[in-house]
Order: sequence, then C-alpha cells, then structure tokens
Amino acid sequence: MRRGLGIAIVSTIALTVTACGSSSSGSSSSSSSSSGGGGSVSGAKTLAASAMNSPPKGTITYCTGKDTTGDAAYTVAQFNAKYGAQGYHANLVQFPASADQQRTQFIQRQQAKSGSCDVFSSDVIWTAEFSSQKWLYDLTPYVTANASKFIAAPLDTIHYSGKYWGVPQTSDAAFIYYKTGEAVPSTWQQVYADAKKTGGIVYQGAPYEGLTCDFLELAFAAGGQVLSADGKKSVLNSPQNVKALELMVSGIKQGSAPQAVTTYMEPESDQAFDTGKYGYLRNWTYAYAVHNTGALKGKLHAAALPTFAGAGKASILGGHNSVISAYSADPGLALKFADFFASPAMQKAAILKFSLAAIIPSVYHDPDVLKAVPYAPQLLQALSQAKARPVSPVYPQISQAIYTNVNDALAGRVSPQAALQKADSQINSALATF
Amino acid sequence: MATVANQAGAPAPTRRRSRSLSEKRLAVLMVSPSMILIALVAAWPIIYAIWLSLHQYSVRVAGLSRWVGADNYTSAVSSPDWRSALYHTIIFTVISVTLETMIGLGMALAMHRAFRGQGLLRTVVLVPWAVLTVVTAVMWRTMFVSPYGFINTILGTHTVWLGQEPYALIIIILADVWKTSPFIALLLLAGLQVIPDDIYEAAKVDGATAWQRFVRITLPLLKPAILVALIFRTLDALRIFDLPYVLTQGTVGTSTLSTIAQQTFATNRLYGQGAAMAILAFIIVMLVSFGYIRFVGGNIRGMTAE
Repeated sequence: MRRGLGIAIVSTIALTVTACGSSSSGSSSSSSSSSGGGGSVSGAKTLAASAMNSPPKGTITYCTGKDTTGDAAYTVAQFNAKYGAQGYHANLVQFPASADQQRTQFIQRQQAKSGSCDVFSSDVIWTAEFSSQKWLYDLTPYVTANASKFIAAPLDTIHYSGKYWGVPQTSDAAFIYYKTGEAVPSTWQQVYADAKKTGGIVYQGAPYEGLTCDFLELAFAAGGQVLSADGKKSVLNSPQNVKALELMVSGIKQGSAPQAVTTYMEPESDQAFDTGKYGYLRNWTYAYAVHNTGALKGKLHAAALPTFAGAGKASILGGHNSVISAYSADPGLALKFADFFASPAMQKAAILKFSLAAIIPSVYHDPDVLKAVPYAPQLLQALSQAKARPVSPVYPQISQAIYTNVNDALAGRVSPQAALQKADSQINSALATF
Repeated sequence: MATVANQAGAPAPTRRRSRSLSEKRLAVLMVSPSMILIALVAAWPIIYAIWLSLHQYSVRVAGLSRWVGADNYTSAVSSPDWRSALYHTIIFTVISVTLETMIGLGMALAMHRAFRGQGLLRTVVLVPWAVLTVVTAVMWRTMFVSPYGFINTILGTHTVWLGQEPYALIIIILADVWKTSPFIALLLLAGLQVIPDDIYEAAKVDGATAWQRFVRITLPLLKPAILVALIFRTLDALRIFDLPYVLTQGTVGTSTLSTIAQQTFATNRLYGQGAAMAILAFIIVMLVSFGYIRFVGGNIRGMTAE
C-alpha cells in the first residue's frame, strides 16, 4: 500500500510540459530565436537533401498529436495516393491532444532509441531540447537549399546551434480581434486606450506558457530580448521589457483589461469575449472561427499585432515542424514526406480546408485562399513580423521564470521592475543548469 | 502482514526441526512468485527513483550525468519554493481531511436511516465521488472563473477567485471536500451497518438520550472505520496533484509536493532534482502512515482485543 503510494507519486511525475497555446486548438504553440543561443550540438547525423530523391522503398510512420483538424490524415492519404504506386507509403499514428502528452510520447520513443516515429510533428518550442539530445537528423542541407520557399520566421523555430533540425509544417500567430465600428488597432498603447472605452481587452494572463507568449509579443515589439546574442545570459531585465510589462500592468490597474485575465487561458478568454462585454481579444488564429458566429458573424475583424509606440512590431510564432527521428530506418523517405507536407498543394489544403497557417508565402496570394480565408493577408503579415521564443534546451525553465513573475506583476503582487529582476536571475540560474 | 507472520511463526517452535524447515522451504517457494512480482513492480521503480535522485542529468548534453550524493535533497529542503509547497500541502491536508470526515460522518448517518428513497439518496450522494478528479477541477474552474462564472453572478461580485491567495487554496479545499466526502461516507456507512441494533435498543431501555447513544455507542464502535477512512484520505491528500494542476497550475499559493515535483521532473526535465522531491514526498507519506499505524493502529488492535 505505502509502496504503491510512492510509485503513484513517481509515475505522476512522469507526465509533462505545456506548450504555448490552447489545448483546444492543438496548433497554437509558438517559439524560437534567431540567435539560436546557448548550446552546441555536435555529432548528430546529417541528412543530405538528395536523400529524398530515390530513397529505399518502404513505409514510414508519421506521429502527430490528435488529428483534430483532419489535416494529418488528409496529407498522409494524399502522400499514399501520389507515391503508393512507386512503393512509398506513410502511416499515421496519433498521440493525445495534449501538447504535454505528445512531447512525452515522443521522448519515450527516442529514449528507447526506437524508430517507431520516423517523422514527428514537433511543437516549435521543442527543437532545442530534441536536437541537443541528438534525437533528430540535421536537415541543414535540405533547409538551406529550400529556404527561399518558406516564410522566413518559421525557419527560426527549427534553427539551433547553427543548424536546421526540421522542415516547417504549419505555423500560427496571434491576432487582435475586434468588432466592426471599433478603432483598428494601430499601436499597443492605442489598443489599451481604446479598450478602456469599449469594455477592455482580454488575453491569456494565467501563469503558463500562453502568458510567456502574450508578454513576449509586447516585449519584443518594444525592442526587448530574453537572452543575449550568444545565448549565455539573460537580458530580460531591460528598460524595453520593463516598459512592455508596465503597459500590461497599468492596463489592468486602469481598467483596460479585467483583473481576471491573470487566471485566463485560451478557453476563458474566448468565453469572456463571447459575453460581448469586451472590445478586444488577443488570441491565436483558431479563434476566428470560434467567434465569427452568431451576433458577431461578419462583424469580427482580425488584425496583426500592432506597433509598440516608439519601437516596432512583433508576433510570437506557434505551429509545428516535421522533425526526423535519428533512429528512422528510412530517413530519405521521411524527408520526402516532410517535403511533401510543405508542398504548395498540401499547404493550400491546410489553410483552406483545415484553417491552419501555411508556411509558404505563395499560398496567401492564392485566389481561392483569399476568397475563403478573410484574414489571410493579416495572417501573412503577422507571420512576417513574427519572432521566435528563445531556442534553448532549458526553455521550460526560462518560460516558467517569465510567466510566474509576469503573472505576479499583473496581479499586483510585485512591481514590474521587481518581477523582471527576479525572472532575470531565475533565467540566469536556469542557463547554468548542468 | 505483521499479524500473518506472527500466526505462521507461532506454532513453529513446537514442531520438529526438519519438518519446519521443509515447511519453510515450501512457504518460500509459494511466496516467491508474488515477492518477485512486488520487487518488479514496486521495489524496482522506487530503487530506480532513489538512484535518479542521487544524480544530476544534463539537460544540454545527451546522456551526460554526474553523481551529486544528497545535494538534490539539501537543495530541495532549503529552497523556499519547496518549503512553501510543503506548507500548502499540510494546510490542504489538515483542513480538507477534517472537513471531509465531519461531513462524511453526517452523510453516513443520514444514509444509514431506513426511509423511503434511501437507495436514491445513497446513489445521489455518491455522484461526486464517481466524477473524475480532473473533471471536478474543470467544473470548479468554470464555476469560479472570473468575472462571468456563476459564483460571481450569484454573489454579484467580480472577485478573481483563482488569481489570489488565499481564495485559490480555499477553492481547491472545497473542491476536494465536495468530491471526497462521499468516499468517507461510504466507508463509515459500512462501519455503521455492522453495529448491531440491539445495543441501541438496550441503551434506549436504559434511558440513554439520542446524543448519549451517538457519543457512547456509535462513535466508539465506528472508530476503526473512521481511522481507516482517515488514513486513506490523509495519504491521498498529501499527494494532491490534479486539483491544483488544473485549477491554478500550482501557483498563487497552491503549489503542493506533487505539483512541484512534477514541474521539476517533467516540465523542466531536472530528473535528479525532481526524483529527490518525489522521494521526499514519499518519505513524508511514509512517516505519516507509520505515525497512524503506531498511534492509531495500536488503538485498532486494542479495540478488537477488548
């Protein structure tokens, strides 16, 4: 009995991490840094770009989180229809809907050196962790040869230690949602000022990955950074970041945002916006379909995140990349599948049929897409201005330091300066992790 | 287990040596499959967790680890985060188990009465216990979400229940009490049903009031059942994880021994430190259960001997 209890504790612990974004959308995570700081990976296997041209015949397995949109099943079916006659097949394996569980499932397979997932749909924040454990093929030759095909920002999410570890698959970025008749968001300051007159802005302020994204969107726009260029120390406690946090904190104090946002994740912010009491909502692209119904049908607008007055613009990237397991028996075929996933036809289907953000720019100019996806131009703009969260093997600790302290500041328990100072020292000790 | 060993061991000295030896061998033979099973499923994971807790595993270099001895334990015990998790866990355990026992006893007494609709009442009372804890947590989160949750609507307030101390912990305690009082009620109901009616009748004949019958008959005879319920609930409460995880992600004064260990082990992938925290929780649970058996378990034996 007592032993059993102990085991229960240990096994409880064998659960996992939350990625940015809602579990309901399953695709709203975000991440990366252009600097790719703080670590080096050597000795990983590199896959030549030509490996996909005529790989050994066979079947690869594509592992992904629960296919709530149907995009994965569609892509696998299309792949088999196109290449089945040549002897190339793909299987679909679905993991649970929770990002934590997907990460755990993949980690368990990699720790067992199992090739049972040839291609894995990896949340954009997992790149540094997986690659530093040498679980992934280095895909630098393929990515550098094809870089011009992709929107630039998502490439940052697969960039770590000077190499590329995956192929972009789907992306995501946040919008400011507002109703017809309200001012088009121009600057964050203006959004907060207008929000005060129209009930307020709701966003995700609970202490979890989502808040890291919400805060970094403002901080990056204000010109702030999280890590130094070499990735070795924190630069979170900067005047720019303090300014961004002060705007958020004073927004709550002065009634531009309800105090309750400090407990909101995506579903709560959606419900709050649905009450009609709030003028603005910050959420991922999936929220368009959620709110473009009922009284708001046709009156909902989505705007790319605005400028921070006196500085620039930013978004935080979500989405998934196709990564190839270092234990795959047929990595060439795996790359062929990842390449197929990123092809214009599949990307067009992803945005048109499954409301996912495509990672190649041409799709956004496609007449069919422009007709069916009213927010396509704004989405392309949001992705173009996007930045990645820090790519670091200790990212979970970095994010935790950010969201717990930012939440403390939002709830008024500490000042913005004190919060960032504490987060700064916590990130520095996280970077010193063995 | 201890009593079984006593019974088996007691007759041995009176028997002849050779026979007792072969019997012992037979006993070993018959017990060994289950012992091996226990070793595999229970002992091995614990030993492995202890092994993990004495090392640190690099999060940046694949496969790199180093022996750190008791460092993970000392750093956990001296960390303010772990200490406040311990503090929250103790507060949660003491308050929730006390409330659950009192409410559960009341429910059991109500369910014990014979009346029309008794079956229905028993079923209804058990519903919260049948609900998954995670579902309970989501329900309570919806109720208390601010500002449009129905609690705020009823009270006409805009309180951010889950965003400030001590409300967040209070709501977690309430949710736990709501969910597990029926479990205690069920255990106590079973205890009530084995108390013979003639004792009550004899007391009535002697002129005992209802209160006297409750205090002098029901409570003492129910004590073993209450103690079993207390042990179950206390050990469970010390491991509380799902409610704070869903309701507040273990923040705003609701971190517990399990949430902080999970955060460290799984989220931050600090396997050594996380395992040390899990072992510390394990030790605390062990100590509490030893305490119960020592002080309370003796009581149970004493009462059954009477």
